[in-house]
Amino acid sequence: MNRVKKILRTIRDDSQLMFGCIGICIMLLMIVLAPVITRWPGDYYGPDSLAAPGVNGHILGTNHMGQDVWSMVVYGIRTSLKVAVVSACISGLIGIVVGGVAGYFGGIVDRIVSEIINVFMMLPTLFLVLLVVSLFGNSIFHVMVVIGLTTWPSNAKLMRAQALSLRQRTFVISARTMGETKLQILFRYIIPNGIFPVISNTTMRMAGAILTEASLSFLGLGDPTVVSWGQMVYDGKAYMTQGWWVCVFAGLAIVLTVLVFYMMGDGINHVLNPKYAKGGKK
Amino acid sequence: MLKYVLKKLAFAVFTVLLVMTLNFTLIHLAPGSPVDIIIGPDNQDPALRAALMETYGLDKPVIVQFFRYIGQLLHGNMGSSIVFHTPVAEMIGSKFAATFMLVFTAAVLALIIGAAMGITAGRKEGGFLDKVFSYTSYTFNAMPSFWLALMLIILFATTLRWLPSSGMVTPRAKFTGFRYTLDVLYHMVLPLLTLLLLRIPGYFRTTKSSVLQVNSEDYITTLRATGMSEKKIFRKYVLKNAILPVVTSFGMSMAFLIAGVSLIEIVFAWPGTGRVMLTAINQRDYPVLMGVYLIMSIMVALTMIVVDIVYAILDPRIRY
Repeated sequence: MNRVKKILRTIRDDSQLMFGCIGICIMLLMIVLAPVITRWPGDYYGPDSLAAPGVNGHILGTNHMGQDVWSMVVYGIRTSLKVAVVSACISGLIGIVVGGVAGYFGGIVDRIVSEIINVFMMLPTLFLVLLVVSLFGNSIFHVMVVIGLTTWPSNAKLMRAQALSLRQRTFVISARTMGETKLQILFRYIIPNGIFPVISNTTMRMAGAILTEASLSFLGLGDPTVVSWGQMVYDGKAYMTQGWWVCVFAGLAIVLTVLVFYMMGDGINHVLNPKYAKGGKK
Repeated sequence: MLKYVLKKLAFAVFTVLLVMTLNFTLIHLAPGSPVDIIIGPDNQDPALRAALMETYGLDKPVIVQFFRYIGQLLHGNMGSSIVFHTPVAEMIGSKFAATFMLVFTAAVLALIIGAAMGITAGRKEGGFLDKVFSYTSYTFNAMPSFWLALMLIILFATTLRWLPSSGMVTPRAKFTGFRYTLDVLYHMVLPLLTLLLLRIPGYFRTTKSSVLQVNSEDYITTLRATGMSEKKIFRKYVLKNAILPVVTSFGMSMAFLIAGVSLIEIVFAWPGTGRVMLTAINQRDYPVLMGVYLIMSIMVALTMIVVDIVYAILDPRIRY
């Protein structure tokens, strides 16, 4: 009980973290309550095409196919969150393992991994994602995996720096003297103690993943079988002069979601990063 | 210094090679082939297919094709488009100038404006300007580039009718000389504005946090204790040290810009490499695709080298 109170107080004390948490809770609620708060399913093609906001009960209007924009926005949360969480987790896991191994083992392994990270950091990853998705097929699964596979280097860099400093600490050295194997030390001491910057970076990456997915959908390379905000903007672009609302509201949904993840990431960073810890800040 | 530059250059060549290998493998492993596009969906004659495959060297193993391509490149030949039969260099050349103009102007302007905003905000942390800049940059940072571009079109082109929504020149106007330059600049405003709004937040954040960090260093505190004027401390000591990370982020930003600009080019129908690339992807036009990627990665690599050298010159603490 005390623990819960402590967590709640931490969330309340940091405004960014609080807004982030509230935002994510609202989104989760909207996912669960989607059938209740919308009158039409996201993939329902109704009789009113390009109806202005407010007409016939369409709060945010309809697109050229008669789909209700509000319903699509609500159902689009599912796609965005799925992409965000899955790709960021892939990126986080690879980053943690690669960075941890490089930083802890050091020597030649570290040199090779660091160079690979540098090369990847230099690469315009959007091109790579574009290439893979357009050539190998555009299912949402591909999109998520490719985003995950191209964004791990920043996580690896953070984890490597952590591992480099942690391996000199007394508790790691004593574990080594106790005869624990390298892998044991890596997974039991280095990673759990050095994971915090990766967590906040991963939250930021979720925002990046949402933007990347939206960009792909906007280029017509998204998964056509799911409701996606990027796709909505892409479809709405052709009808921009007759119906601005399709583009505008879909884009606003993206902006708000990305902002929520940014605030969450910044908040987590403030709470977990000792540099910002209480007392040091003021 | 020379050794340092050479080392950087070697790393850049290695990176470009690695990127090319990666792209080549990906492109050639992917299902679909340019021959499908040339033949079209109605003709299924296997003899024709085999003949076409042979003409373009696509029947050889990927590894042979790769070395052939590299050999070609070493002769300064990027090959010809399989679909259009025009040399790749020609296809990309003219488009590249348009992209480069946009990207470079945006990168430099964003650096200057972003750094200026960051310095202003960093000097008076928590002040009114700091708050305004911080909140706006936070919001713009969260915007998808293509959406921001569309919103600017809705605002400035369709509603206010101040600026053209697409293209690089007024069609059918046939301006020459100074008029032509003005016309291009006029068309460039909106794409440039989009890129600036997207890139300034990055520089702003880097500059601000760097100014704040340097401000809290011990040597600055010491200078303050000596009673030196706040202005002089800032101009002589804080600024010089705070600008270093911003220079590094210029290189990074260039990579993002080069990739991100293709989306904006598509929204504004800007005749750059982005559109060439998308068409090439859809048509599986391997030589064009490889050419575009080659130019992009060389450009990123060169920017990185220049940035590293500038950094080394600016910061005497860097040993090379």
